[in-house]
Amino acid sequence: MHKTAKRNVGYLIGGTLAIMAATSLAHAHGGATGIVKERMDLMASVGKSMKTITEMFQGTKPYDAEQVRAAARFIGTHGGEQTTKLFPEGSINGPSEALPAIWQDWDKFSKLADDLSVYARALADAADNPRGAGMGAARRGGGLSSGGSPMGRSNPMMGSASGSPMNDPAVLATMAPNAAFARLTQTCSACHTQFRKKQ
Amino acid sequence: MKRGLFAAALAGLAIFLTAGTVFLSTGETVPSEIITVREGDAERGAYVARMSGCIACHTNEAAGGALLAGGPPLQTQFGTFFGPNITPDKPHGLGNWTLDDFARALRLGISPNGKPYYPAFPFGFYTKLTDQDVADLWAAFQTVPGIPSPSKPQEISFPFNQRWTLRGWKRLFFNPGVFQPQPGESDLWNRGKYIVTGPAHCGACHTPRNPLGGRNAEQALHGAGELPGNERSPQITAEALREKGWTETNLAFGLRFGTKPNGDVVGGSMGEVVRDGTSWLTDEDLEAIAHYLLNNPKQD
Repeated sequence: MHKTAKRNVGYLIGGTLAIMAATSLAHAHGGATGIVKERMDLMASVGKSMKTITEMFQGTKPYDAEQVRAAARFIGTHGGEQTTKLFPEGSINGPSEALPAIWQDWDKFSKLADDLSVYARALADAADNPRGAGMGAARRGGGLSSGGSPMGRSNPMMGSASGSPMNDPAVLATMAPNAAFARLTQTCSACHTQFRKKQ
Repeated sequence: MKRGLFAAALAGLAIFLTAGTVFLSTGETVPSEIITVREGDAERGAYVARMSGCIACHTNEAAGGALLAGGPPLQTQFGTFFGPNITPDKPHGLGNWTLDDFARALRLGISPNGKPYYPAFPFGFYTKLTDQDVADLWAAFQTVPGIPSPSKPQEISFPFNQRWTLRGWKRLFFNPGVFQPQPGESDLWNRGKYIVTGPAHCGACHTPRNPLGGRNAEQALHGAGELPGNERSPQITAEALREKGWTETNLAFGLRFGTKPNGDVVGGSMGEVVRDGTSWLTDEDLEAIAHYLLNNPKQD
C-alpha cells in the first residue's frame, strides 16, 4: 500500500479505537453520560475510600493510620462544591439516582456536601489518635451512658447530635478517630436517606 | 398488569369482607392478667423504645413534632396511617391508661375499650415482648412530657376503614404470644431472634405480604416490594446476606454505622432505621442480631 494510504488507514483505525474507548468509558454506570456519570464516578471513588476506612474500623483489616488519613483526605477533597457542582438544577435523566428533593432543599443538600468534607478532614486529623475499644466507642446515639437521665432534656428516647460537641470538627480531631468516622457515616447516610432514590 | 392488580384487589376485598363477617361475632378473649411484672425501669425502657422504633412512628421529627406526640404519615395500599399521640397527656395521649392497658395494646393489639388496632401498628411483633420489656417501656413513657395535641385521624378508604373486620384479619394472621427461646441454641442466637422477630420487627418491612396485608410466613425476611413510598426491601435471609458479602462482623458494624460491604452507606428507610433505631443499641445486641440473621436456617 502507498505510504500515505497506510498512514491514513492507521489514523482511521486509531481514531476509531479511540472513539470506541472514549464511548465505552463514558457509557459505564448503566449508560450514564455527562454530568450524571461524573457524579456517579465521584461517589464510586468516595465509596472505595470508605470501604478501606470501614474495614479498618470494623477490624476486618489491621488499622493503619496512614491509610485512613489518605483515604479520609481523598474524601475530604470531594465534598462541598466538588459534589454540588455536579448537580445542576433538574439534572435527573437516564440512570440518575438523584431525587428532586435535592433542588427543593438545596440548603440542606449543600450543607451535607460541606459536612462530607469537614468530617472527612476531621477523621484525617484524628487518624493517629488512640482508638476507643469496641464499636460502642463511637456509638452514634450515645445510648444510655451519655445524655443524662431519661427525665432530662437529653432523654435517651430522643436526642440528636445537633449542637453537641460531636458536631465540632475541631473537637472531633482531638478524639478517638471512631468519633469522626461515626459523624462521617451519619453524613453519608443522611444524604442518601433524603436525596438518593430509594432502592 | 392493571387488570391483574384489579382482580387481586377484588379478591382481596372479597376475602377481607368474608373474614370480617365470619368472625364479627366472635369476641376476643382477653386474659385478666396480661402482665405479671409491675415495676419497670425508665432508662432500660428508653433503650427498648429505641429498639422497637416507637419514636420513628409516633414522632414527626421532620415537622419538629414533640417526642411521641404523633407521627408522620405512613402511606400504604390500605390508606395513610398516623401514629397517635402516646405521651402521658390525659385526654389526648395515654394519661388514662394503666400498665395492663398498655400491655394489652402491645401484646393483643386492642385498645382499652376493646377496639382492634390496625396492623400498621406492628403488634404482631410486639406480642413477643417480655413482661420486663413491656414494664420498662411503660416506665419510660411516663417520663415523656405530656402534649395536649389530638392524634391525627387515620385516612383509610372503604372497606379497610371498617375496623370490625380487623377481628377477622387477626384470626387469620395474628399469632399472639411472648417470645419463647429455642432450646439447643445459644443465648446470643436467642437474643438475636428475640430482637429480630420481636421489638425490632424487621419482618414488617423485609417479609412480603399477601393482598390483605398479612405477612407470608414461609417467605420470612425474603424482601418485599410495595412498601410505603414505593420502596423495596432486600432479602435478609442467611444465604442472601452471605451472597452480598455480609459477615457477622460487618453486619453488626453496618447496623451501627450504615456501612455496607461494598463501601456504600445505607439510605432510604433503612437509613432512618439505623439513625433512629439500631445505631442506639449495644455492641452485644447488634452482634446478636447479626449472629441470628446469618445463622437462621428456618427463617421464621
